[in-house]
Amino acid sequence: MSLIELQDVSKIYRLGSQEIPALTGVSLTFEAGEFAVLAGPSGSGKTTALNLIGCLDHPTSGHVIVNGLDLGTASKKALADFRLQNIGFIFQSYNLIPVLTAAENAEFTLMLQKVPKPERRAKVRKLFVDLGIDGLENRRPADLSGGQQQRVAIARAMAADPHVILADEPTANLDSHTAEELLELMRRLNREQATTFIFSSHDDRVIAQARRVIHLQDGCLADDLTISK
Amino acid sequence: MDLVRLSWKNIWRNRRRTIITLTAIAFSIMLVQALHNLSFGVYAGMVDSGVRAGSGHIAVYRNNYLESRDETLYFKDGSLVDDISQINGVEQVLPRLYIPALAQSSRESRGVMLIGVDPDRERQVNPFLKTLPADGMIRSTDSRDAVVGTRLLHELQIRPGQKFVVTAQNEDGTLHSELLRVRGVVNSGMKDIDSSLILVGLGRATQLTGNSGSVHELAVILADAGLEATVHRQIAAQFAQGQDILAVSWEEAMPNLANAIKLDYASQKFIFMIILLIVAIGVINTLLMSVMERMREFGVILAMGSRPMTLRCMIMLEAVILGLLAAAIGTVLGSLATWYLVAVGIDLADLVPETLEFGGVVFDPVMRASWDPAWMLRIAVYVVCLTLLAAAYPAIKAGRTTPVEGMRHH
Ligand SMILES: Nc1ncnc2c1ncn2[C@@H]1O[C@H](COP(=O)(O)OP(=O)(O)O)[C@@H](O)[C@H]1O
Ligand SMILES: [Mg+2]
Repeated sequence: MSLIELQDVSKIYRLGSQEIPALTGVSLTFEAGEFAVLAGPSGSGKTTALNLIGCLDHPTSGHVIVNGLDLGTASKKALADFRLQNIGFIFQSYNLIPVLTAAENAEFTLMLQKVPKPERRAKVRKLFVDLGIDGLENRRPADLSGGQQQRVAIARAMAADPHVILADEPTANLDSHTAEELLELMRRLNREQATTFIFSSHDDRVIAQARRVIHLQDGCLADDLTISK
Repeated sequence: MDLVRLSWKNIWRNRRRTIITLTAIAFSIMLVQALHNLSFGVYAGMVDSGVRAGSGHIAVYRNNYLESRDETLYFKDGSLVDDISQINGVEQVLPRLYIPALAQSSRESRGVMLIGVDPDRERQVNPFLKTLPADGMIRSTDSRDAVVGTRLLHELQIRPGQKFVVTAQNEDGTLHSELLRVRGVVNSGMKDIDSSLILVGLGRATQLTGNSGSVHELAVILADAGLEATVHRQIAAQFAQGQDILAVSWEEAMPNLANAIKLDYASQKFIFMIILLIVAIGVINTLLMSVMERMREFGVILAMGSRPMTLRCMIMLEAVILGLLAAAIGTVLGSLATWYLVAVGIDLADLVPETLEFGGVVFDPVMRASWDPAWMLRIAVYVVCLTLLAAAYPAIKAGRTTPVEGMRHH
């Protein structure tokens, strides 16, 4: 059984009377431990695809099966619970909660899971060391650089040990050097801890780092290459 | 617990806005509490002077006397005055006989209401008599001394120390006259009283009517107005079976005063409601603004797996914290204001030169508040509930967003 399966998935947005097809008939499978990128120009449907994989949205037609479950008709609450246990998110603009410290941000999903505080603390401390941001635990997001914030966001996504981490253009707001470092970090986590990463990018240098490149074009699957290294 | 901490931090995100909102709520609470306590004190003062000048906190009458004022409805008070005086919380019991009479001086005559009183007891209670000089008071219950209203004195064209005659119908139907001497003069500032009041000793009064040992009214003064209900029951228990008398509260005996207070307080309640409504609108505005600003963040929080309910709880918690904080600050301010109004009060003498009369009662030109802590607490609780209510819409709105929608906000 694959970790994630998209079966003939289409997503059509409605703006008034206008219909905007964002994804059309996409079928894809992802296995545990993959390090895959959704590539394509802006508007090609990358974010839409990640939203569907992440159970943030329902497809207009087709099925999205994550970890053996099709949540096509699940309630908001059931979807939330499923995401909390199974999926980690990293966003382009970090989206840390500004009033919380770096450590509190990283603990957020664990807090939602009602993990006791000492356990949370210990786990996040270890993650911060792994991610090279130890010592920044008590800083507010505003006092961190973009790269540091995105590392905290990775810590937040990884803290609850999700099956997959979805990252929508995680390096788009970073300079190329920091972006490369961050990507290297993600790859290391993928290698060493077998964390499954699916991320999107329109930056060729970033795309070149992935082991599997899925090209989207106008909402359709254009290419699916696995690069053996 | 973590959610409480997060809510607390969220409140201080926009410090200035929160402080302004807190100040507005706290000041409203202070205003409402202080105004209420002021009214509470002023009403209590009015009731106190009202019952002391009038028929007491509780009055004992023959059935129907209150409605008909029929002077034949007197009763033998026997040991009732002493018995009622024994009841806990009773400060004074004043026996009174009301006699419609004709007062005649050598020059003029006037219809009056002659009141027979127990001079010693009356002097301790009645605000009009308290200010009389020592030689201005009726010396004994059988004496021919009379205390007369200043206008009446003027109309009769006599002066203190001079004699006049009162005539009234005796029990046996004949007219009976008594010679009285003006001993003291009452200047209450109220036209009705000053132009009709004649107080004489009860003994002298019953000589006029021939019904010795009878009264129309026992005015019971309490040490504390709050004891009315309990004392009322105890007084009623004193009446012998079949005795045609009953005890009535001051609200029934002096409906003018009771209604004036009720009406005044009703208009104040209306103002309180408007103040609280304005507070609610302010809170809704603040919370809605803070929710709209954070839509993107809510989207992220929902994406990470928070249930919509958790989000709603967080916003309700923010409102509760805001409400509790405002209630605490407001109550402290309200207490300070009340403390000032109790200790110093507001002097109306400069504003209103005439005698202040309200519901037929003269009252002190210095308005003083009185503590009503239970009510202050109630207002504080109301405001917290109101804040919660005001948070309902913003909370529902936040819980209704989806992660995708929320994250589209910038
Ligand atoms: N909520 C929405 N409502 C309407 N159209 C949308 C919405 N989200 C995305 N789209 C449209 O769907 C298409 C794909 O968008 P998106 O998935 O965001 O692409 P990408 O992430 O690759 O830039 C675009 O044409 C975009 O305008
Ligand atoms: Mg996108």
